[in-house]
Amino acid sequence: MTIDVLAFATSPRRHGNSEILLDWVLAAMEEQGAAVEKIVVAEADIRPCRGCNVCETLNRCVQRDYMDYLHDRIIAADCIILASPIYCMGLCAQAKALVDRAQVFRSRKYVLHLPIVPPERKGKRVGIFLSTAGQNWDYVFDAAIPSVKCLFHVVDIRNTDIRYLMVNGVDEKGAIERHPTAKADAAALAREVVRHLREVGVA
Amino acid sequence: MSETVKVLGISGSPRRHGNTETLLDAVLEGAREAGGDVEKVVLRQLDFTSCRGCNACHRTGVCVISDDLTAVLEKITAVDVLVLASPIYSMGITAEAKGLIDRAQYFWARKFILKNLYFTDEHIRHHKGIFVSTAGLGWENVFDAAFPALTAFFNTTGFEYWDNVIANDMDRYGGVGGHPTALAEAREKGRSVVVLIRKMQIAEEPGA
Repeated sequence: MTIDVLAFATSPRRHGNSEILLDWVLAAMEEQGAAVEKIVVAEADIRPCRGCNVCETLNRCVQRDYMDYLHDRIIAADCIILASPIYCMGLCAQAKALVDRAQVFRSRKYVLHLPIVPPERKGKRVGIFLSTAGQNWDYVFDAAIPSVKCLFHVVDIRNTDIRYLMVNGVDEKGAIERHPTAKADAAALAREVVRHLREVGVA
Repeated sequence: MSETVKVLGISGSPRRHGNTETLLDAVLEGAREAGGDVEKVVLRQLDFTSCRGCNACHRTGVCVISDDLTAVLEKITAVDVLVLASPIYSMGITAEAKGLIDRAQYFWARKFILKNLYFTDEHIRHHKGIFVSTAGLGWENVFDAAFPALTAFFNTTGFEYWDNVIANDMDRYGGVGGHPTALAEAREKGRSVVVLIRKMQIAEEPGA
């Protein structure tokens, strides 16, 4: 079995800091033998949640778009990575749209009380939040984290299985390349997650 | 005579006439009762895209995107009271509301990079921002992660973040109509912000 990694590059700016950070993590994971799939969210047809709450009875979303494919991929993946820049003290709108569309999992789990992943896969999934921010404030990521936790919790990834790599003070495109530790931190994180998933018996 | 107090309410909920929009309507009704000139914009009726992160506005001070939000963002600079309403989805504001806030980046660029936009303390004091929100969950902290984005938005657009009109635990109350105080408080808040600004206007009129 190969470790299955699903990664979301949500920044509207292609190949900017948060996507570079993601690419470093994915490259290191591939080196360790994982299979990675990167979704460029800004270029995908992912519409915002309509708040209709129909998923609470239908157990699926009423909207037919690229989330149909991603829904199955989110369930199948061993590791889900969300990469978002911080815009105005939060996730960028594109990332928030994706997170809000996970409402169908929340309805399944907490309203319909149906499983998200089969019991044997519980506790064997990892979520990673990668983020970059232009501001240097140490609290600049704080308001994004609760939404990230929502996403991971509703797809059966526990708090203890969420990893964070957040780099502040990188603003203009490519600034992260000059960061003293970000690249090494990304590689170390990737290795740790792959090792962990092997230890729990994923592959 | 000063002009009437201009109030702009923006609904960021994808659901029409749900709890958040109803609470916003109560604020706007109160504002209208107090003599405010009230307008409401519903984001879901508009055709717009979010910020592309291209940073062109950092050089030009203008957004490269021209869509339905363009006029809304310019309207914001012409009102005295800005009321932004969004329900809490996944511990934050909706993608629509965040889409609006992210598009205000060009004001930020004008203020902090191009330095051709500056709000005096007096301007900020005369411009009040209100955040209206509801949440299904009863957790006390359910709004906390929304506040920083609103703080950034009001700062960028020259408004004092005056107050919140928020109500949680909607799932338990069966909607905002079942909440004992929320709608009355919202209406009162709308009234008082208009009265407050009108007082400030009168106090500063020549001969006052």
